[in-house]
Amino acid sequence: MSTPDLAIAPSSRRLPAHLNGLVPVLVLLAGWEIASRSGLVDPKLLPSLLAVAGRAGRELVEGRLAVDVAASLARDIAGFAIGSLAGIVAGLALGLSRPADRLIGPSFNAVKQIAIFAWIPLISVWFGVGEAAKVAFIALAAFTPVAVNTWEGARAAPPKLMEVARVLEFGRWRSLRLVILPAALPAIFAGLHLGLINAWLATVGAEYFMTVGPGIGGLMTEGREHFHMDLVLLGVLLLGLIGLALNTLATRLEARALRWRHR
Amino acid sequence: MTNLELSRVAPESALHESALIAGNGRLDLPVEIDPKPLGALLRPALYALEALAFPLALLGLWTLSSRLGWLPAQILPAPDQVAATLAELAGNGDLWFHTSISLLRVVQGFALGGTLGLLLGIAMGLSPRVRRSVEPLFTALAQVPPLGWIPVLMLLVGIDEGLKLLIIAKAALIPVALNTHKGIRNVPDSLREVGAVLAFDRWATLTRIVLPAAVPSIFTGVRYGLTSAWLALVAVELLASSEGLGYLMVWGRQLFQLDMVIAAMLVVGLVGFALDWTLSRVERRLQRWELAGS
Amino acid sequence: MADIIHHAAARGALEIRGLTKRYRVSGTPFTALQDIGLSVAPGEFVSIVGASGCGKSTLLRLIVGLERQFDGEILLDGRPVARPGLDRAIVFQEHRLFPWLTAEENVALGLLKSAHPTADKRRLVREHLELVGLGAFAKAYPSQLSGGMSQRVAIARALVARPRILLLDEPFGALDALTRSHLQAELLRIVRAEGITAILVTHDVEEALYLGDRVVVMHPRPGRIASVIPAGRLPLTEDGGPPGPGLGHDRADPAFVRLREAVLAELGAGHAPPPVRHAA
Repeated sequence: MSTPDLAIAPSSRRLPAHLNGLVPVLVLLAGWEIASRSGLVDPKLLPSLLAVAGRAGRELVEGRLAVDVAASLARDIAGFAIGSLAGIVAGLALGLSRPADRLIGPSFNAVKQIAIFAWIPLISVWFGVGEAAKVAFIALAAFTPVAVNTWEGARAAPPKLMEVARVLEFGRWRSLRLVILPAALPAIFAGLHLGLINAWLATVGAEYFMTVGPGIGGLMTEGREHFHMDLVLLGVLLLGLIGLALNTLATRLEARALRWRHR
Repeated sequence: MTNLELSRVAPESALHESALIAGNGRLDLPVEIDPKPLGALLRPALYALEALAFPLALLGLWTLSSRLGWLPAQILPAPDQVAATLAELAGNGDLWFHTSISLLRVVQGFALGGTLGLLLGIAMGLSPRVRRSVEPLFTALAQVPPLGWIPVLMLLVGIDEGLKLLIIAKAALIPVALNTHKGIRNVPDSLREVGAVLAFDRWATLTRIVLPAAVPSIFTGVRYGLTSAWLALVAVELLASSEGLGYLMVWGRQLFQLDMVIAAMLVVGLVGFALDWTLSRVERRLQRWELAGS
Repeated sequence: MADIIHHAAARGALEIRGLTKRYRVSGTPFTALQDIGLSVAPGEFVSIVGASGCGKSTLLRLIVGLERQFDGEILLDGRPVARPGLDRAIVFQEHRLFPWLTAEENVALGLLKSAHPTADKRRLVREHLELVGLGAFAKAYPSQLSGGMSQRVAIARALVARPRILLLDEPFGALDALTRSHLQAELLRIVRAEGITAILVTHDVEEALYLGDRVVVMHPRPGRIASVIPAGRLPLTEDGGPPGPGLGHDRADPAFVRLREAVLAELGAGHAPPPVRHAA
């Protein structure tokens, strides 16, 4: 357990280290295919990979899959845009204004304790079960982490730099633009990243609970009701892939925007 | 000098080297008595008042709007009606019944997922081989939100307790495993070197250095895990349950009794808060050493 | 405390022969230490000075066993050094105390792998905390201690298992000047009390001369020994009362000042002449 000795690099491995991790995945997939093909497991419960792929092809050709994915993504982005914008505004207001912080902060902290899905029944009454309700719910899910992080970031402006701003007589607006916002940026991005993940979770949830209209959630619900496991698994795959893509995108953008931190 | 005395002086007055040498072990350290003006005593009360002003104003507006009929009761029931429903549910034992079922589910699921996550995180943190072979699969599974597994598991295990347990456990497992892994990998090399110099074996290194140093990160994971388990519980109860707080909300929604929905939401918020608060207390106790100085 | 002062037996003799250490920094080989030879007698205090990058810290890490691959020989009392062991102790520049343990628990870590019965361990911990003047702070956490006190705890932790040789890697580098000079005198007293061999790495020439019986001057690129300057004959300081253990060399003595200039000149010789600076 001492420090890793650079001189002893493992060179006698069959596969490059970064490919090693793929072995269990491949074994799992192969086991799955064999179990399904051989009838070891009921193919109705565990359809073969080819069956899932075939289902994907059919859904794509029939045109429904593209519509479902597009509908989910559009909802996710709309909700995220509204929620994160509102979150940044609210967070800045709370972080920059002492009265807002003291008057509204505690209430906000209390309300955010309510698990996000608990809002669904209320939202479905207020907004119906159509598109508006789904987007409202997704926006709410994105709002909370963005607001919390922006709030904390804006409140924690580094005192030493604020002193510099005072010495240089920056004034309110320039202090905000040149000190507070740049200092809060990492926190705001962290909030946006969390908000994006939350929004995708909420998109799935909204589509489960408010099943009107196309969407990946609807696709999975339909698959479950008709016992089409291949359709359900296709849905899981899509959720994972899109979630991964959004996450990767957010990480890249965050890294780009915060390049100065590593210089 | 006991620990208690020390902690009383430690925060502000740095224990000076010179005092130490002069006093030769017997020290008369100054105990600062904080002079509290009246304003300082009143300040917490003032903050509490300010914090309450906003929700009270909202409550007033809410009451006013229902009195004047601005919003129909099907959209927003009067606050006194919500309070009455809450009292009624509490009085006839329904509230306790549903809450206890939800709590039991979340505790069981969290215990299962948290334990597995902890073990997985430790294994991944300690062994590069385990990490290399598990990480891609783990990352792939983690990408799908807990809700995504609900339809699959519904077909595989039905809609009984097994479903709830698995969904909640999965929700708790990911953050616990990730943060445990991260905490262990980030143990400072400088402390590992001290262990090496003091001839620690693997076991001593694990129990004296790696785990204590990883505790803050592990605890972050545990708190995230519990929050995420509670979130998953509400979701799965809304979708497939015939008891529990989530079910109470669905039931109220179907009867168009929004007072019941809001009452259940309040309890969901309260329980979520209580769970997080309890963990934050435990966390502070476990990390006394960090708070001791500053 | 009386029973930890008596082992002045012929232990702690260090012999380094033909020691060379090479690294590979992103593919390019790099010689950190070249053909180092050094003998340290039991109970001797040797200071090593050199500019940063001359490999003096690497040398300590090799002696303590944190770096294992090298050419040449490192012998402690005739036996080759292969890995870290309780016969060698090190104090780093940062105190490296475990923040979640109290001072006494930190010191006790030094005995984790020794075979003493529990009661003995407890006594040794107490004695060593008292030796460094921190008997009253046994229950304090590192975050409650000042930098100098933390470094004292680190010294107690290093000494508690009674090593044969104590290695010090710029132990006072991060402390203020006043604390530093207090601790230098303390260190000398402690080392004499334990009768232990000590090697101190520092970039402070005055510290090296104040403490050391000999001062080793190293030059960088590749790290090598330029000269060894005896300082043992320097007069002791007189401001501490009667002469005895714990007295370093008198910094104000003309001989001290002359030697300091000689060491500084020797250090400067290892550098290329500074480039001519142009405006802008």
